Amino acid sequence: MDYNTIIKYLQGLASADEKQQFFAWLEEDPANKKEFAELKKIWALTEKGKEDENSAYLQFRQSENRKNRRTQLFKVFKQAAAVIVLIGLGVVASQLLKSTEKEQEIYAASYSVKAPLGQMTNLELPDGTMVVLNSGSTISYKSNFSYGNREVTLEGEAFFDVQKDKEYPFVVKAPLLDIKVYGTSFNIEAYPGDESFSATLVEGSVSILNKHGDELSMLKPGENASMNQLDKQLVIKKVNTEIYTSWKKGLITFRSEKLEDIAKRLERWYNVEIVIRDEKLKQERYFGTILKNKPIDQILEVFKLTTSLEYEIIPRANQPTLIYWN
Amino acid sequence: MPESNSNIQSLEFLLFKAGNAQVFEKIFKSNYNKITGFCNQFIFDLDKSKSIAQESFLKLWLNREKVETANGIYSFLYTAARTECLNYLRHKNIEGKYHQKSIEEKEFLLSHDILNSFQLNEMEFSELEEAIKKAIEELPERCREVFIKSRFEGKKNREIAEDLGIALKSVETNMTRALKFLRKSLSEYLTILIALLLHL
Repeated sequence: MDYNTIIKYLQGLASADEKQQFFAWLEEDPANKKEFAELKKIWALTEKGKEDENSAYLQFRQSENRKNRRTQLFKVFKQAAAVIVLIGLGVVASQLLKSTEKEQEIYAASYSVKAPLGQMTNLELPDGTMVVLNSGSTISYKSNFSYGNREVTLEGEAFFDVQKDKEYPFVVKAPLLDIKVYGTSFNIEAYPGDESFSATLVEGSVSILNKHGDELSMLKPGENASMNQLDKQLVIKKVNTEIYTSWKKGLITFRSEKLEDIAKRLERWYNVEIVIRDEKLKQERYFGTILKNKPIDQILEVFKLTTSLEYEIIPRANQPTLIYWN
Repeated sequence: MPESNSNIQSLEFLLFKAGNAQVFEKIFKSNYNKITGFCNQFIFDLDKSKSIAQESFLKLWLNREKVETANGIYSFLYTAARTECLNYLRHKNIEGKYHQKSIEEKEFLLSHDILNSFQLNEMEFSELEEAIKKAIEELPERCREVFIKSRFEGKKNREIAEDLGIALKSVETNMTRALKFLRKSLSEYLTILIALLLHL
């Protein structure tokens, strides 16, 4: 068959007569149909519409928004439910611990409580010690806790108000160092990704131990001990304990901290992902106090006003919101 | 068919997966007309083709985390469009004997058969895409000029004749040569893609 007719048919320009001819040829031989199918595929894959892409895109955005409104509402509900469930779990877990102490002796299993990203969790340990767990932190302890063994493992940041017990010290094991306590309140920060350790004593006394159990130092109230994974030097300094413990009151206090480090904290507290695109900005320091219970966009506005950063918020489905700092 | 300038870079692909709106906009705008055109080739209804294209992009946006490679974006779009077109064509296909069907019914049936045999899975698709690009580059010069003006610039034969200062007949001859050449150099890929053809 004349290719011109086939091309005309492909172009949608064939007349009724030409279409008749075309189908007559097509039905003549299966090979013809195969040949045409091949041409059609090449044709379809090299086809391009002539629509206006910009208005098509606007239309896309509008219909996407309409479709998303319902799922977004649903998402808010889901998040609210998750918070309730988690708080509920915390209560249930500590109730359970108290009522089944005997059974726990037999099963020396361990318990762990994790504060979800963007949330704080309060918990009471079986010995009456109160713990405020900061976002993204995990505390775990053996089920025989309180039977002369008051040992917890911490990954992240927590404020402890330890129940006094002269006989049995309370021990917090962190990745870098351990802390031995005899009834006191203090704050420990030891997030795994941060590669550092920081303990601040509010009242009472604590010992800082290395991983072999040797005492490195005794802290006095108002002192902060910190260690960096790289140089492993223990630094003790007098601090305003408010700065280190303000997070549990919903205040965030920064004292000349690098924006790079601040970004890490904001990521945990707000369950967002922050990408700093400017290397210089990472090293810029910030001094100030912000209210933690404010939405992230208001916090970012404060940073924008007081530092040189510009930001961009990109909401993502099923993933933490992405924020760019420029 | 994605051209080289619309292929996205690996960083952009990561941003696309992360839900970056600008990158998605770029993907939308550089592929919307291809998907619309592809659909219209099989269903002969421009409005429906446009809405299928819109749906395909929405599916892409919602499933962006599942797309594994930059090439996967194109095969995802074409595959989503293909599925929708097949659904549409199934409704158009009336029961009855082939020889009693009208030309219009036969056209829908033919579309359905060809599209049904069109396997657009990722590997074959990116291979075919490369192969088509390469085959077009290998066309004799005049042939390639005519084909590109006709297919990518949407020009009518008469306009092409004027542009190139050649006879209308020569445009037709070159289009025929181009298609025969492409079919020959792509035969290997195309026969794989044709599983079975029904009704004949």
